[in-house]
Formats: sequence, structure tokens, C-alpha cells
Amino acid sequence: MLDYPERVLPKDNLIPLLRKLAKDARLIAPVRKSCGDTLFTEIVDVDNAVFDLKNKPQTSLKPFLLPQQEILAKYRVQDGEYTFSPPDAARPTIYFGVRSCDLTAVLYMDLIFSKPSRDATYFDRRNNSLIITLGCNDPLDNCFCESTGSGPYLEFGFGLQCIDLGESYFVSAGRRKGVDVLEKWGYFFRPVTEDDEQRRYQLFLEARGRFTRNVQVDHACRILQENPVPESLLEKLSSRCYDCGGCAYVCPTCTCFSVDDMELSKTNGLRIRSWDACTSSGFTRMAGGHNPVDRRRQALSRRFLHKLKHDFALHSKPSCTGCGRCVDICFGGVDITTFIDLLTASESV
Amino acid sequence: MVGLATSFGSGAMTNSIGELEGADVLLVTGSNTTETHPQIGRNILNAVDHGAKLLVIDPRKTDLARQADIHLALRPGTDIALINAMMRVILDEDLADQLFISMRTEDFIELRDYLFRLDLDELARITGVSLRDIHEAACIYARSCKSVICYCLGITQHTCGTDNVQAIANLAMLTGNVEKEHGGVDPLRGQNNVQGACDMAALPAVLPGYQDLTDTDVRKRFEQVWGADVPPVPGKSLTEMTHSGPDGDIRAMFIMGENPVISDPHLNRVEATLKQLDFLAVSDIFLTETARLADVVFPAASFAEKGGTITNSERRVQLCHRAIPPIGNCRPDSEIIMELGRRLGCPGMDFDSDAEIMEEICLLTPIYGGMYYDRLAENWGLQWPCWNRDHPGTVFLHKYYFARGKGRFTVVAHQEPSEQPEEKYPFTLVTGRGSYHHYHTATMTRNSRRLVRECPEALLEISRKDCKDLELHSGEMVEVSSRRGTVLVRLEVTDRVKPGTVFTSFHFWEVPVNKLTVDALDPRSKCPEFKVCSVNVRKAAHA
Repeated sequence: MLDYPERVLPKDNLIPLLRKLAKDARLIAPVRKSCGDTLFTEIVDVDNAVFDLKNKPQTSLKPFLLPQQEILAKYRVQDGEYTFSPPDAARPTIYFGVRSCDLTAVLYMDLIFSKPSRDATYFDRRNNSLIITLGCNDPLDNCFCESTGSGPYLEFGFGLQCIDLGESYFVSAGRRKGVDVLEKWGYFFRPVTEDDEQRRYQLFLEARGRFTRNVQVDHACRILQENPVPESLLEKLSSRCYDCGGCAYVCPTCTCFSVDDMELSKTNGLRIRSWDACTSSGFTRMAGGHNPVDRRRQALSRRFLHKLKHDFALHSKPSCTGCGRCVDICFGGVDITTFIDLLTASESV
Repeated sequence: MVGLATSFGSGAMTNSIGELEGADVLLVTGSNTTETHPQIGRNILNAVDHGAKLLVIDPRKTDLARQADIHLALRPGTDIALINAMMRVILDEDLADQLFISMRTEDFIELRDYLFRLDLDELARITGVSLRDIHEAACIYARSCKSVICYCLGITQHTCGTDNVQAIANLAMLTGNVEKEHGGVDPLRGQNNVQGACDMAALPAVLPGYQDLTDTDVRKRFEQVWGADVPPVPGKSLTEMTHSGPDGDIRAMFIMGENPVISDPHLNRVEATLKQLDFLAVSDIFLTETARLADVVFPAASFAEKGGTITNSERRVQLCHRAIPPIGNCRPDSEIIMELGRRLGCPGMDFDSDAEIMEEICLLTPIYGGMYYDRLAENWGLQWPCWNRDHPGTVFLHKYYFARGKGRFTVVAHQEPSEQPEEKYPFTLVTGRGSYHHYHTATMTRNSRRLVRECPEALLEISRKDCKDLELHSGEMVEVSSRRGTVLVRLEVTDRVKPGTVFTSFHFWEVPVNKLTVDALDPRSKCPEFKVCSVNVRKAAHA
């Protein structure tokens, strides 16, 4: 964490600040759509945008940093010779109103795409981004970031973190780019008082007490380090999985992808990367139809085990950020919280 | 639809989808709900989580059947025998709701006398289900005051489809499980807007809102608004048209969003009919197998490129928003129809907006009377009947009385499917949707790489025993033949089907399974018997 003094941004100054920031960059923020959805959307007109900082955006930042479908390279063929050109360069982008869980997910993606080799297109976008988060004073339905250590407030990783104090935002800088904003646009902010600090802490305490779900993520991680998943549990869950991939697509840390070459004409084409899901049976099926993974049981648990077992072993932290989107979307009710609840119940201490 | 309309006076789902979660007993028959209606499937599974009992009637051991408290794996085409047996048990156990029967229904005595003449052991033998299971299922269904029946094409796509539905309606009325919340009879509609298409009279014998075509006053009203004569003679049903043959009296066709060259039964006949037409126009979003035969193809806009409404299974009329402008030359269906109408000299084809079209619908269709666009936008849609601007819509049907007045019991007797297994064709072939990943003839879903990867080809499901007896192996190509044709398909050994039955999907043009199916129809609904035909399975000749 950067040791840069915190600031307070009066709410009246928010739109003027965003207007300044949007001059040099694309601004993305949660917007309430006419059909009732809240989605991260590019803000073209700061004054007339319907910001929605109350509801959970239905998608995370994943579609921006790792688009559902993206061009990795363009190719041309001439006289049997292939020439490749890189995709269009990323535009500088500011993300505003990002939740703690989603920022945590971006930090996880940074890790995934930096090893074994740095993913050029991902980091082109990542290095061109400034993420301004909004701490959650009111955890939403199905949220459990407290149990995954990724909220409701964060200690590091953000460009700027805003905490809603009512009339103003308590703003901390976590990275150099955030400090640049505080320095360049210092006149929008005022210094922090003891009262602001106490108020921020009080809100934090209350927010932690407001989670409606108690999901024992830690406990599940520890059980999985030592034990296999009970067969009966897998049987129950897999029988209700529709194999639709919805959980993986909305998950901010599911980063599986496939690469396809798309021929546009005889002389040129694209190399495309698109989202994939390890829960799909086609993800592991071999030529000839053999599948080393039994869809019924293993495919589903593989996703849970990756998040709660393998990543926990690697990073001492699960790669579930408690955003609850898989809970919101799953048709069958076999999201990660069901898995954790049943697992911990079966292995009660 | 005809069946339910005869018994209750309306052919639509009596409950709302959300009510399923509150039911105590769910009887699902002829529906692979979790794969074909995942959203409704979730409601059913939630009900199970809350402690509801699940009864599944299906010849196949579907995912849903595996979760059932009782799975009645009947022989294909014996639904009536099974339901009659359940009703007989209910009478024997004195579980019938006599008060409901006397207050809200008619013609019960005939059914009661008929049921008492039946032999339960004989019925159980016909269905291939143990009498103990039938008995237990009947008691579970009848003892609950919140029992729901969901059915789908496994019930209707038989020569006795209408009778099947009437048997189901009898069962619900016998136990008083209809006319209320969390209790009713719910046909699940297969396509997102098939309910809307029926409501708008894309049916041969009714006017929009199921108004009687033979009623002079009704016709006069339409003639006044449309500025044209409305003939009182019903049109033809789908297969009457696509099977009319080279010598039929139909000389031209306009097909919208349908692919009968793959989806209709007895394909050779369909193809012969379409090829002999003087003129064929097809409107679709992709160049389907049917569109390839057309003289003119209209490129239609996809769901994202147009507005309008969609009416779902629970009679909810929902407003759709255009997300992107139409790509290329494609145009919304309404524009295609209006342009065509104008050029053919049809009056009134000059609507400026979808909302204006809806105003005419509200005017002419009593059950849609209050479905104006501004109201639909405010209400997340409205459920019909919605008689006027102030009407809140209807959550469940038949409150106080059935739409036809009193619910009518109908005596229906078991009848064997039109084709029986015989020495030359010893297996019963059931067709249906084969996977979550493809829809209908896959004209849309096969344009998605990921869906194709997940489900790349049709598979013929066969039991381990049959596979062994035929000395075949899972994964090899086999020849499946019926009296009408032959197709090649890959074999999959599974415990989903019982010995003697095989199953495959109709999604893939490479495996045009409807070359095998019979063209026998239900005499009333004209629905083809897709679900049962007799076939032979053998090693593919060139393999």
C-alpha cells in the first residue's frame, strides 16, 4: 500500500472530477439500463448518465480486461506467406464504482496472465487502466466477500478506493496512478479529519455485520487440502448442473479461454480468443470422443476445486471473491456456496 | 391444446411459473424439463429442495427422473392407461375431491363408471409400470392440496395426444387440483413465443384470442377493422399442408421461421410437396434447408434487432427492446409481412410502430384487451386474460369457474400407438430434443461454435442389453430404418432408455430422423405422432 495521505471528496465534486478524468480516457461505470439491468457501461455523457452505485453490476470487469471474444492477431496470406499484425492498441480507461470483489478478481487475473509468460493483450489493457473502487457499506444479496477476504473494504490493489460517508467520499490511493489523480486534481479534495476516520471505521464495522450469508470458505479450503470431495455430494450437485457455463462466464476470476482461427477470406483472417468454461464437456473431450473427465461428477467439481483447493494451495487464498454472481445466475442452484455449505456440513468440526 | 380447451375452456398453463415453487407435489409427464425448459426446471428443483414430492412419468430416465421420488418409466404411448390407473386408485382409496367435482365439474358419473370397469392389473401390464408404483404415485398426488401437473410434447405428440391431455385434466379435476394457486395443469410451451403465436391465431380454426371463426358477429368485427372478408372455413393444419403432396391443392407457400424439411414427420413426403410447389417464399435468419428450396428468401431480423412482444408459457406478454439495428438487408418480420401485404394489395398494412400493431391487437383480442405498450413496460409484462386498461392480468386461470363454465370430465380409453413393434422393426423409436445445447432443427444453435463443440452430432440412445444382443458397440455408426426410410446415426449406450426403446434427437440435418417417423396424426389436434414409431437397428453397411 502506498503511504499517501487519504483525502475526502465532497459528493458535489464527483461529477466535475469524473468530467476532468474522462477528457483523457474512456470512463466505464455501472449504469442502470432501461430494462432494469445494472451493467458496467462506457459513459459518453457524464451529466446525463444514470450511474447506479447501489445495485450489484451483473457483470464484473472481466468483459473489459478479458473480453468475451477478442482479436489476438490479424493475419494475411500472400503467396503462401503468412504475415501477422497485432490487434488495435488498448485505450486508456478509467473504471469507476468497481466493487472490492471485482478489484480482487483483477489482481488475481494479473497473476494468471503474468505467468509463465506475460499475456501481451491483457497487459496492454491492464496497464492502460485506472480502477476506482467503491467500498460496500451495504452488502447485497448473495454477497460473501467477507468470507473470502476480498471485502467489503480493501487495503491495497486499487488505484483509488472511495468509501461513501454520506455527504462525501473517503478516498485512499493504492497505486501510483491513484496518487496522480489526487495530486493533479487536488483542489476537488479536502484533508481527512479524525471524525472522517472514525466514521469510515464505523461504517466498516456495520457493513461487516450486514452480510446475510455466512459461507465458511476458509473451512472448506482447509477440508479440501486434506480430503477428497464426498461422492454423495458430487452426485447431488452434478445431477442438478445444466452444464450451461453460466457460472464460469459471470465469474470474475474464471479465465479459461479457447483460441480459434477465423478465416475472413482466402487472403486474411483473425486469431480469436473467446471465453470457455471448464464445466463444459467439450473442454476436455479428445478427438474420437473419449473424455478423460466424467462430466457428471468431475467437471463441475473441477471448477470448485480450482478455486478452493488448488489456488488455496498455491496462494494461501481461494480464488473465489465472494461476489455471489454464480449464486444469482445458476439455474440449478449448484453454485459455489451450495458446494461449500454442503461440504462443511458433511465435515462439521 | 385442443384437449385442455375441451376440458377447461382454455389451452394454456393454468398456473404461473413462480407458483411451481410453492407446490407440494409436482407430477411431470412427457417433459424433460431441466433440459428443455431450464428456468422452469429450476422452479421444480427449488420446490423439491423445499420438500415437495416429485413424480416423473417418462419412458426415459432423464436427469429430472433421476431426482424423482417415483419415476414411472412407462412404455411409450401408454399415458392414458397409466393416468386411468392412477384415477382408479384414487377412487378406490376414496381420495377423490367430491366437493370440487360437484361444485365445479360435469360428466363425472360416466368417467367414474368407466374407471370402475377397468382392471388395474391389466392397466399396469399395458404400461409396464408396477402397480405398487402407480398406487403410491396416485396417493401422493391425490393427498396433497397443492399438486401441479406439468406436461409437454411427450404427451401431445401422439395420435392420442388430445386424449392424453384430457386424461390429465380428468386427474386434476378428480382431486380438485386446479382453479387455484400452486395447483393446476401446466402445458409447457416449447418455443419462446409459441404461446403468442397461438394467441394470435397462427392456428387453422380460430381468430386471435381463440375467438370462434364460425361466429358471424366476431367475424364482422374483424372484417370491419381489417377491411377485408374473413372466410368462415378453417384453414389447414401444418402437416395437411406439408404432406399435401405433388397433387395437392396448395400451389404456393410462405414459411416463416420454420424448417419443415427437417422438423416435420415423414420427410420424403414433405420434400416432395415443397419441390412441386409453383412458388415458395421463406423468411428466416439463416439459410435453412427449407430456405434452400425457396424461390424467394427474405432475410429476417434476429431477436436482438427488433422490438415487439413475446408471450411465454405462463401467458405473460413481455415487451422486447431492440438492442442493435438490423444488420445488412435483414428486416423485422412485421416489416416483411407489411411490405408483402402492401404489394399484394392488402389494406391496412401501414403500421408505423410495434405499439400501433399492439393497439389493434388490444382492440380485436379480448384476452389482450389491456396489453398496451406503456402498460407492458411498467409491469414487466402482463398475463392474459387482461380485459382492459385497468385489469391487472391473471396469475392463475379458472378462478371461481372454468373458462368454459364447468370443467368437463371425458372418458378416454387407452389406444395403442399407430405403429407396433414387429419382427422386422422390433424397436420403438422415441424422438425429442437431445441436449441442452441445440434448439429444434438447430438452424440457430449450429451457428454457434461453442454449442456445436458441446454437442457435435446426433446420438442414438440404446440400452446396454439391446446393444449387446445386436453385437454393436457404443460409438459406432448404425443404420436405423422404419417402413418409411433409413438414416445413419452414431450409437450411444446409456441407461436412459429401457430395452426395446431407442431415442434420438431431430436437431441435425445429417440425421433426418423424421424420415423414419410416422405421418399418423391426432385426429383432433392434427399433431403428428413424433414420439412413437417402430424401427430396426443394425450395423451400418459401409462401416
